[in-house]
Amino acid sequence: MEAWKLRPARDLGLKPAERLRSLGREPGLIGLGINAAWRRGVRAYLRACHGFRVEGLENLPPGPPFVMVANHASHLDALALSAALRGHAARRAHAMAAGDLFFANPAVSALSAYAINALPVWRGRSSRGDLDTMRARLAEDHLVYILFPEGTRSRSGSMGAFQPGLGMLVAGTDIPVVPCWLQGAHEAWPPQSRTPRPFRPLHLRIGPPLRFGQVPAGRAGWQQVAAAAEAAVRLLSSERGPLNEAP
Amino acid sequence: MIPHPPGGAFAHPVTTGIIIATLAVLAVSGLAILGIARSGRAKPEFRRELWLRWASWCVLLPLMLGPVLLGREWTIAAVTVLSLLCYREYARATGLFRERLLSLIIVLGILAVNFAALDNWYGFFTALWPLTACLLAVSTIPLDRPAGYIQRTALAILAFMLFGAGLAHLGFMANDPGYRPLVLLLLTAVALNDVAAFTCGKLIGGPKLLPATSPNKTISGSLGAVAVTTSLVALVGAAIFRGTPLANPVWLVAMGALVSIAGQAGDLLLSSIKRDLGIKDMGTVLPGHGGVLDRFNSLLLVAPAIFHLVHYFLGFGLGAASRVITG
Repeated sequence: MEAWKLRPARDLGLKPAERLRSLGREPGLIGLGINAAWRRGVRAYLRACHGFRVEGLENLPPGPPFVMVANHASHLDALALSAALRGHAARRAHAMAAGDLFFANPAVSALSAYAINALPVWRGRSSRGDLDTMRARLAEDHLVYILFPEGTRSRSGSMGAFQPGLGMLVAGTDIPVVPCWLQGAHEAWPPQSRTPRPFRPLHLRIGPPLRFGQVPAGRAGWQQVAAAAEAAVRLLSSERGPLNEAP
Repeated sequence: MIPHPPGGAFAHPVTTGIIIATLAVLAVSGLAILGIARSGRAKPEFRRELWLRWASWCVLLPLMLGPVLLGREWTIAAVTVLSLLCYREYARATGLFRERLLSLIIVLGILAVNFAALDNWYGFFTALWPLTACLLAVSTIPLDRPAGYIQRTALAILAFMLFGAGLAHLGFMANDPGYRPLVLLLLTAVALNDVAAFTCGKLIGGPKLLPATSPNKTISGSLGAVAVTTSLVALVGAAIFRGTPLANPVWLVAMGALVSIAGQAGDLLLSSIKRDLGIKDMGTVLPGHGGVLDRFNSLLLVAPAIFHLVHYFLGFGLGAASRVITG
């Protein structure tokens, strides 16, 4: 028999505003309920207004933890990736969102935290401690991270280079990285537009997971992970399939 | 039934007396803090702490006493909200919130037991305690995850006992037309009990009560609180229960001692939970106090204990219509 283990919430003792922006935020019944309702709403909107289609669902690992990486062209990206998940994985999914945009003030933070289930990433000033927390939580709390390793939305729609931060999370672990290619998001909600533009198709292709258990944790290893993930996403974008057929 | 004169919320002189006394204590303590601040002897952090506590009381007291004055439904609604807030803090501190199914059943159980109070359906009210405990015990079996079964089930049943079944007794008291003076007395007496324990402990000092559980509590403070609270509850109780079998010095003193002892036991119960978890406060909602549970821990055991003492002699809500919603 194991000794009894009591694990208080990671965000225990934080003031409400701090808690929203904490990487240790763990949702309770209210958070789960709001997130589930939001996810269903988003899924219905994407289906109705963007004809959202997902292929390669069978490539998703059977359960958390795993990391989904995709090209980033629009605010719809994180919503579309989380809408593709179901059940346990969907409830555990956290999108990594730019802190300066999605956690700018308490009202926006509340929406990002409760509805989107986002965790803040502070561009250019993420501390080593933040990354350690994210890395620990991914494995210990069995989470799903939705990550856009380009670091920012592509203004042109074409994919940029992947940053090595992804490698810091998964190098030397058995946590699978699932490459995803999202087609049409740039047209459906361009970075220059304040609102999405309905009736532009949105397609998601999920590729077979990559594992980086043998890759050493270190700068070279992180670069290697980023390069491999980028290559896998680029490969998905060029594969023949319903995505690339003329409408 | 508790004797009550006809009329509105302030018909009973004890109700008026408790409200005036509370306002007076708040005003005097405010002036005292002002005096300390003006004297310039206290450190700024200490002054800030005092003001925070005082300001928290100014917000908290209307939220506690207001619903009792407003009426039965308000009282039960306030107890329901209090139960849910207490459970939320407990669940996050113990990690029980990660058990979604158990959390959901406890929340539904809290709503159901308070509904039974609102309905004045005593049979359902008492049945919910064993029924919910059984449901909590079996509900996670189908998940086929026996690891941690005893721990999660024990945490869940303790939670429902304290915040669901236990605290709901406070709301059920409101089914008696004469509930106001008694509920107000309990709310203020447990607060006084804490203050008396703190003051007597500081004034007299001496050996610690249970140093591993709560390092700041002394035996003298604990006994002092029993003396102060027992006398106050017995005196006010004599006015509330005049002309009933409870208006007997032995029972009134027993009731006062029960308020003090159950209040301190609730406090120590929460201290034990916090010590076991290695945390100082259960939350951050109330500046200067900590969490909701840090403030209301003393009420958790007092509510059912006093309910059943009074119920034995007088019965609660016997004169009022029962099953007002379910018919």
